Amino acid sequence: MTSGLNVNIAGVEFVNPIMTASGCCGYGEELTDFFPLSRLGALVTKTITIEPRLGHPPPRTAETASGMLNAIGLANVGVDRFISEKIPFLEKQKTRVIVNVGGKTIREYAEVAARLNDYGRVDMIELNLGCPNVSQGGMEFGTDPRMTERTVREVKKVFARPVIAKLTPNVTDITRIALAAEQGGADALSLINSVVGMTVDVDTWRPTLTFNRGGLTGPAIKPIALARVYAVYERCRLPLIGVGGISTYRDVLEFFLCGATAVQVGTALFVEPDAPLRIIKGLADYIKTKKIDHVSEMVGKVRKY
Amino acid sequence: MTKLTCEDTFLIKRRDLKNNYFSYVFRPYSRAVRCKPGNFVHIRLASSDVYFRRAMSVASVNPDREEIEIIFKIFGRGTALLAGCRRHAPVNILGPLGNAFSFPRKNEKAIIVGGGVGFPPLLFLASEMIRKGYPPGDIEFFYGGRRSGEIVERVRIRRLGVNLRPVTDDGSYGRKGLVTEAVEDYVRKHAGERMRLYGCGPAAMLKAMDDLGMKYHLPGQLSLEAPMPCGIGVCLGCVVPLRKGGHARVCRDGPVFNIGEVLL
Repeated sequence: MTSGLNVNIAGVEFVNPIMTASGCCGYGEELTDFFPLSRLGALVTKTITIEPRLGHPPPRTAETASGMLNAIGLANVGVDRFISEKIPFLEKQKTRVIVNVGGKTIREYAEVAARLNDYGRVDMIELNLGCPNVSQGGMEFGTDPRMTERTVREVKKVFARPVIAKLTPNVTDITRIALAAEQGGADALSLINSVVGMTVDVDTWRPTLTFNRGGLTGPAIKPIALARVYAVYERCRLPLIGVGGISTYRDVLEFFLCGATAVQVGTALFVEPDAPLRIIKGLADYIKTKKIDHVSEMVGKVRKY
Repeated sequence: MTKLTCEDTFLIKRRDLKNNYFSYVFRPYSRAVRCKPGNFVHIRLASSDVYFRRAMSVASVNPDREEIEIIFKIFGRGTALLAGCRRHAPVNILGPLGNAFSFPRKNEKAIIVGGGVGFPPLLFLASEMIRKGYPPGDIEFFYGGRRSGEIVERVRIRRLGVNLRPVTDDGSYGRKGLVTEAVEDYVRKHAGERMRLYGCGPAAMLKAMDDLGMKYHLPGQLSLEAPMPCGIGVCLGCVVPLRKGGHARVCRDGPVFNIGEVLL
């Protein structure tokens, strides 16, 4: 008998469909203060780039109505230190590990992916094709279908395990990008990345963030994410991982019904670091009450008018 | 038991300290016993339209009664909402978070310097030092504020037996001027004595303390404040630049830093 929560994405088994979202849990160390990472379907790390990055000067986060705006600027330890300092920690964690990868050029994406290919602990990689918070190598990869396709294709050449393309919502038609990623050989898609936004301090007339704009996340963007997941589900056959404003199991159900096979919890971790535990329990209770054998039965089953 | 949890508790004692300052005591908080001076807790109201928690340094604890006290001042929306809480209001506490002050050595005088709403963790520090046997008379408690009304809890601080040295911008209570000027005068007058500085307050005060510590070669620690979305070290929103290069997270690597460590 199964829990009814286990999912399979591109041949990789996950104990449940709840993952952390990139940029919201570092490399996993801090979350172990709250629960063993084995409780998660997967841990998705912060974006790793070829060189270490400090990110933008603070302030680089701001609270907004039902969410937050951030322009951290891909602060990370770089792939070398990730391998030497973080992989040993991850080796000890009994969870799936998905490493999010970023770059300024297609070559950089491929270089990081090639380095990670040697470490079996990295079950999958997720390509950050739409970070709104860097001046170079941010959104152009995820807003141009040809760039998306080429980036995925080059990474697939050097990384032997499944590759997820993370899509930005900051485009006119996300389904075109989704299909391009599929064409490039992506094994799954995660969507959405943050929504470009801005806030201004009216006392100083300055933007709240030093990068001037940032990426909006949190409950505020959940309806945007759901609409994108649904649009892509209707046109693309790849498994979808929903992300954007999830903080309760009911949010997760909405993503399932709109076509997501799994989900990622991000900004909610900042407010309730143990949110994944509550969500997993809520899901288990829900399928039991509703007499649903397996969460996969709900995928894409929204009863559209 | 995991190291940290988000714990539901209640506001059981609410004191209006005037001039927008409040003292709140929460109970039951099972982790009160783990709180050390310098630690903070991340507080969320049960229903509110602010999304993030609010970081509050611990002002005192009563582990036997599972009580924790914070003292705060209304600054923005979050603190205004908090100030509007009635007794018995449910709140959720994540913590204790951050690092703690290290106590002075036996032969060192403690020069404690609080500016405005920076004094609560120092009140906790002084109380804990005394509880551990440190002579109250060896604690100089400098406390700066704009005017008399902003030097709150003065009776309570005096009752500890420490030497309270109030300083106000307008001279309406204690010495007139900046608290760091008073500290520098003291340090100069007691040159040669072993002293350790402790500071928490506005950015300009911390900068002056940092300069002072380095100028007179005095060891010490400063507790920093920053808006903290997560408080646990994952969002990287609250970083400060380090003198040796790189960033430190105020929430996880701090909030207490050694003098000279951070580029203030």
